[in-house]
Amino acid sequence: MLLSLVIFLPLLGALVAAFLPAAEPGQHRGWALFVSLLTFAVSLALWFGFDARPGAAEFQFETRLPWIASAGIGYHIGLDGVALLLVMLTTALTPVVILSAFTVGDRVKEFMIALLVLETAMVGTFAALDLVLFYVFWEGILIPMYLLIGVWGSQNRLYATVKFFIYTFAASVLMLIAIIYVYMHDGGSFDYLAARSALQISAPAQRWLFLAFALAFAVKVPMFPLHTWLPDAHTEAPTAGSVILAGVLLKMGTFGFFRYAMPLFPDAALHFRPAVAALAVVGILYGALMCLVQQDMKRLVAYSSVSHLGFVMLGLMALTAEGLTGGVYQMLNHGVSTGALFLLVGMLYERRHTRLISEYGGIARQVPWIATAFVVVTLSSIGLPGTNGFVGEFLILAGTWLGRMPGTQVLAAIAATGVVLGAVYMLWLVERVFFGTIRNDENRHLPDLSLREALVIAPMVVAIVVMGLSPQPFLAPARPAVDRLVARLQEADARLRAADPSRPPSVGTTPPAVAASPRAAEGALAALPAGGSR
Amino acid sequence: MAQPFLWALILLPAAGALVNGFFGRRLGKANVALIGVGVVAAAFVGAALAFAQVVYGNVLRAPGDVWFEAGALRISFGLLFDRLSGTLSLVVTGVGALIHLYSTSYMEHEDDFGYARFFTYLNLFVAAMMTLVLGDSLALTFMGWEGVGLASYLLIGFWYTDEQKAYCGRKAFVVNRIGDFGFLIGFFAILSLFGTADYGQLAEAARKLQGSTVLATGPFAGWTVTAALTLATLGFFVGCAGKSAQLPLYVWLPDAMAGPTPVSALIHAATMVTAGVYLVARTSFLFALAPASMAVVTTVGAATALFSALIAFAQTDIKKVLAYSTVSQLGFMFIGVGSGAWFAGVLHLVTHAFFKACLFLGAGSVMHGMRDDTDIRNMGGLGRKMPQTSRTFLVSTLAITGIVPLSGFFSKDAILAGALFAHNAMSERYPWVGPTAYLLGTLAAAGTAFYMMRLYALTFAGEPRTEAARHAHESSPVMWGPLWVLAVLAVVALVLGLPGSWAWGEIFGRFTHPVFAQAIEVAKVEEHAATFWPFAVAWLVAVVAGGLGWAMYAGSLRRVPARFAEALPSLHRFAVEKFRVDELYDWLLVKPLGRVARFLWRAGDAFLIDRVLVEGTARTAAAFSRIFRTLQNGDVQRYAAVMAVAAAAILWTLLRGGGP
Repeated sequence: MLLSLVIFLPLLGALVAAFLPAAEPGQHRGWALFVSLLTFAVSLALWFGFDARPGAAEFQFETRLPWIASAGIGYHIGLDGVALLLVMLTTALTPVVILSAFTVGDRVKEFMIALLVLETAMVGTFAALDLVLFYVFWEGILIPMYLLIGVWGSQNRLYATVKFFIYTFAASVLMLIAIIYVYMHDGGSFDYLAARSALQISAPAQRWLFLAFALAFAVKVPMFPLHTWLPDAHTEAPTAGSVILAGVLLKMGTFGFFRYAMPLFPDAALHFRPAVAALAVVGILYGALMCLVQQDMKRLVAYSSVSHLGFVMLGLMALTAEGLTGGVYQMLNHGVSTGALFLLVGMLYERRHTRLISEYGGIARQVPWIATAFVVVTLSSIGLPGTNGFVGEFLILAGTWLGRMPGTQVLAAIAATGVVLGAVYMLWLVERVFFGTIRNDENRHLPDLSLREALVIAPMVVAIVVMGLSPQPFLAPARPAVDRLVARLQEADARLRAADPSRPPSVGTTPPAVAASPRAAEGALAALPAGGSR
Repeated sequence: MAQPFLWALILLPAAGALVNGFFGRRLGKANVALIGVGVVAAAFVGAALAFAQVVYGNVLRAPGDVWFEAGALRISFGLLFDRLSGTLSLVVTGVGALIHLYSTSYMEHEDDFGYARFFTYLNLFVAAMMTLVLGDSLALTFMGWEGVGLASYLLIGFWYTDEQKAYCGRKAFVVNRIGDFGFLIGFFAILSLFGTADYGQLAEAARKLQGSTVLATGPFAGWTVTAALTLATLGFFVGCAGKSAQLPLYVWLPDAMAGPTPVSALIHAATMVTAGVYLVARTSFLFALAPASMAVVTTVGAATALFSALIAFAQTDIKKVLAYSTVSQLGFMFIGVGSGAWFAGVLHLVTHAFFKACLFLGAGSVMHGMRDDTDIRNMGGLGRKMPQTSRTFLVSTLAITGIVPLSGFFSKDAILAGALFAHNAMSERYPWVGPTAYLLGTLAAAGTAFYMMRLYALTFAGEPRTEAARHAHESSPVMWGPLWVLAVLAVVALVLGLPGSWAWGEIFGRFTHPVFAQAIEVAKVEEHAATFWPFAVAWLVAVVAGGLGWAMYAGSLRRVPARFAEALPSLHRFAVEKFRVDELYDWLLVKPLGRVARFLWRAGDAFLIDRVLVEGTARTAAAFSRIFRTLQNGDVQRYAAVMAVAAAAILWTLLRGGGP
């Protein structure tokens, strides 16, 4: 019930807003903010009610109601730890986004309604445990997002929004076909759990289904080379749209791999893993290289998302507890840090109405607090220890290095160069926007953060530091889900190895070559001073 | 025995940074200075109290909670205060406090905001550096490692309205990041070997290892322990080469002089840049198992020492000379920690912190007197105008030159003798490394003596060469006070490095012996009996080269430099232009990277993927629909015509195919 409330509260709020007068934009802003804050407050009950102990149920807050019983479609929702984290990310980010969108002056009513509908669809996507329900929420996102970009976007918005829509929609249709195929081979149910346990299909069919799902998800992530819709969509979208897009929508793709593509088709996942991992690494470097040559701030941040999501995908493909945990954590981190980057870029845009980097320069003196926040967010984005980004990147790279896929160390090493490139393009951006002398007279009198803007950006900065220094509360819920996925793929791996004894194990963490006796070494350094200093 | 108060050594400066960062603008300069200096001084007192314990042979620890864990990997917060990290802590907070004090006067010209910002960053640096030093695992060291990099970035680009300075800050960060890539690879290699990042557990595990054991599992299956650890430690050393400005990653340090001079003194001379030396010393038990890595560390250190000393010959910017000198001295330290004379490397780190901080602060004082002119060709005769600065500068110059009996002589000699007489696992396998390092190091020492005397002579001796030099004035006591403290320290630190047979002989070596005991044992380091002749050679080299430097720039041979430049103009220009290494990297790496990115963007992203594939798909669909559209144009007559023709065709085929 609680989960259903979190899902539908924003939609309910949107319905109410539909009856409020459009001529009162202030009312709509306040109402939308109130509804999103209320949703966040209710979702906190999920956060504190979730049981992350090893023995706890896999899916909690479960609700199962018949919906279209004759076709085996049910209203089945529930959360595992990873979905919980992403739901919390969504409910926490939405009020921030709504507050940041108070500056939208055009069709405020429709704008706020779109954001609230979007929130319902996003939470629903993460919570759904029925394939059709999932598909409905998944595609449901396209409508408000299409409108957000198409109506409130900037000059080239129609091109961007059509591209966004058709790109993601076309790929998703393949997923729908795959879902129907699954329905026909798991005993006539669209239920996720039923599909996962009862699916009986041949190996080639599994591969095709994996590809169909993976394509839909890979477009959303977006993975190289399916990424070109993203820079356009980001650049043209209003700030709120960019933040939601980067903050939550992209994670639907990586979440899809975690929840659907890999556990439903484990054999095929193992089969395609090297290719996906390689594409992830290509994406890391390619996205970073693209960032080096962008002249548009939003486009640069968009390409940096390609790079960061490459890290997430690499972590997932590592199939080690470390890598998967890192991947999940990096989903949250990217939501926070890239969301914050788009918010800050949006604030600059509202002041100067340009996204061109060359229009800025030397404004740190005018807007010291914006500059400070931008630098902190940049540090998170480039993974400085002490910020959240480090924990994610470190776990991903270490998890990849410690994996068992052949050549995984090489992938980890190549991916680690992305850390260098990340520093190059982000610090260069900071330098070109904030440092140097003011060349453009229009920049001479920019106002610094307003109180509202401070309220928008402060939670993000706080989250960056808290999640960097104390990540454990955010990592703990993911643990059971991660362990289950590793175990599931290990099972598949064992099956394959039983069929082919020459095949080495390829899932899970390699144990240390030389065991360091863990707790026995508590006094090891005390033993170090053999010269009698004790 | 848990000592949670150790956290205060990190949290005090961190708190100072927070308070000054958020409220500094409103507190006023005096309060900002009080907080900024106060927290570091308090940290120094804390470090001294802890150090007293360590002297009696205790090792202090502050175990902490889990930072993060996943799978079998667990990274914890925990501090370790032993004789090595204790020594470093004293240097960092002690020299740090002095430089903070100096800065209160040096940075007076800043407005309130800039003043608060400066002390925020400086305190942040101390907090990060203490994390680096005190962390009891690779993870925490790495946290501090990147943290000091951040502080360095912010401080080099402190005057960010100057594009050049902002660029220098970014260059420093990026070059360091390249090094950090190596650190990370080493880190992962260690994780896959031992499954832990904790120094204590690593030491314990390494103690049981035989270098020749062949590993059975993991990414290094089939490798020997030595081979795997060589890879790991070389990874670390790449990180060290970045942080401690060694070949080929030293290029950021000379540019880092764009920062305010106290920053150059604290971060880019005394403390941060020695972090690499500290890391090698801290993980000595791993390096001891990897003789090849020790050889690489030694060789790179020696090559860097000589290479940058050569560049320093021709520099005319007082801070640039000192910067190249720092690179060179760091090379010496790496010779020490590379060739198995770990204590000597760390000892030189300590003495160098004193005299190089003094030199840089002296340079800052000179810049104050000269209205921020840094060109030594415009100076001269400042000795009379700035007596305190000049005297302390002279003491430190003699110390770095290696004149008996100042501290630099003993620490440098301990390193060179250690390399020459190295008798350990490395010298067994690579006997040429030690003598080579000795030779290069001695040449570098001669170079050091020469260019330092040149620097002193051009700055302080002779007659003023410009109007500014004629009107230079001594700085405030708040500035020259710390100079004297450091100068005195540069002298008395000599007791730490006296030769073994003397009364207090090798006191520092014996003091740090417990830290390096495992490494000494594993690498089979044999103590050598102190021989007299290297001392004599070192002394002779220092005096002759230093005397030559003095003679050529302040004495009777004053014509020689100009003639030399005339005789070999291209060589001279090559040296002035710093051997054009920056240009080489630009041509080799930076430009191609940009070109590749641009090409991929234009040809790959915009054209191939977007135009051809994405929009191509759309255009193909559109083309098909155009074809089908012509069939559905709503013209009933045409429909009827098509229908009739089709019916006829079908009839015809049916009758032909089905008929007899």
